[in-house]
Amino acid sequence: MTLTLIEGALLVFVLGCALGAALLKDVLASVMAFAAYSLGVSIIWVILEAPDVGLTEAAVGAGIMTILFLLALANTVRPQEDQILERVRFRTVAFVGAFVLVMLATVPSLPAIGADGAANPVVSGEVTQYYLANAYEQTEVHNAVTAVLAAYRGFDTLGEAVVVFSAGVAALTVLRQEVFA
Amino acid sequence: MSGEDRPGLYVESTIIMTTVRVVAPFVLTFALFVMFHGANSPGGGFQGGVIAGSVIMMLAFAYGIDSTREWVDVRVVATLASGGVLLFAAIGLGTILLGGNFLEYHLYERFISHATAYGIELVELGIGGIVASVVIGLFFLLAAGYGHAVDTPEAEE
Repeated sequence: MTLTLIEGALLVFVLGCALGAALLKDVLASVMAFAAYSLGVSIIWVILEAPDVGLTEAAVGAGIMTILFLLALANTVRPQEDQILERVRFRTVAFVGAFVLVMLATVPSLPAIGADGAANPVVSGEVTQYYLANAYEQTEVHNAVTAVLAAYRGFDTLGEAVVVFSAGVAALTVLRQEVFA
Repeated sequence: MSGEDRPGLYVESTIIMTTVRVVAPFVLTFALFVMFHGANSPGGGFQGGVIAGSVIMMLAFAYGIDSTREWVDVRVVATLASGGVLLFAAIGLGTILLGGNFLEYHLYERFISHATAYGIELVELGIGGIVASVVIGLFFLLAAGYGHAVDTPEAEE
């Protein structure tokens, strides 16, 4: 596997930001590191040719989530800390390390980026090929992602939309408000 | 800590207000573009809705959360959220009434040509409405505790 300079730099940046978000003691610094992490991941999505996901990650992860976190911080008391980094407990490291190992074990079975044909079962699979061949004729939209989202898997998307709606209603219920204002 | 003790989060700045006044229409247009053009380019209702919601946050950043809260009509937010769900469900269930399966767009072809494309656009618009209003709503709900609003007796109950 070869990495271009940009990809390598992005991966290092994202890993650094993730570690920063986890380890920084100051909550504000942690939120900022998390926002930078989201921005880096959204660019990685674009490199992986998933611009729809990249757009969502940039708007929600780097944008809205950061604002909501900052608002929550503005509403709470932020203790002044002398330490820069969180104290790391051995048990946590062991647990997170084991989880990372399990996730890394699945990486070798993923197809290479941009691989085509038999080397990439995701692309050459029957379902993907059916969507790519028939999406425009059957749904009249060029973006196959939208075709799957709004037409072939429309019922799932209705569920997703209702989940977003329910999240808003749940927030109202928890905060005992009747209107969004 | 009462509202008076807090350092003010909102700073009235001519530069920020002017910039937001110029940029906001373009951001809203871009949000609608992402929503409508999601059929042919990256994007769609979820992404466009979030961008549309961020316009309100820009306005709150420039003009203050409280004045933005007064300016935004709560009925519009509620209508967008529930209207989006109803629109999506109505389009989906309508095809069942016409004798087909859920969201079988081409059954609307008897009323309008290119029914599938228009149906998908409408569904995306509905999703955009839900996402935008929930994002705006969460923003206002979280911002409610900030400043003087925390001292009102209703919030304590």
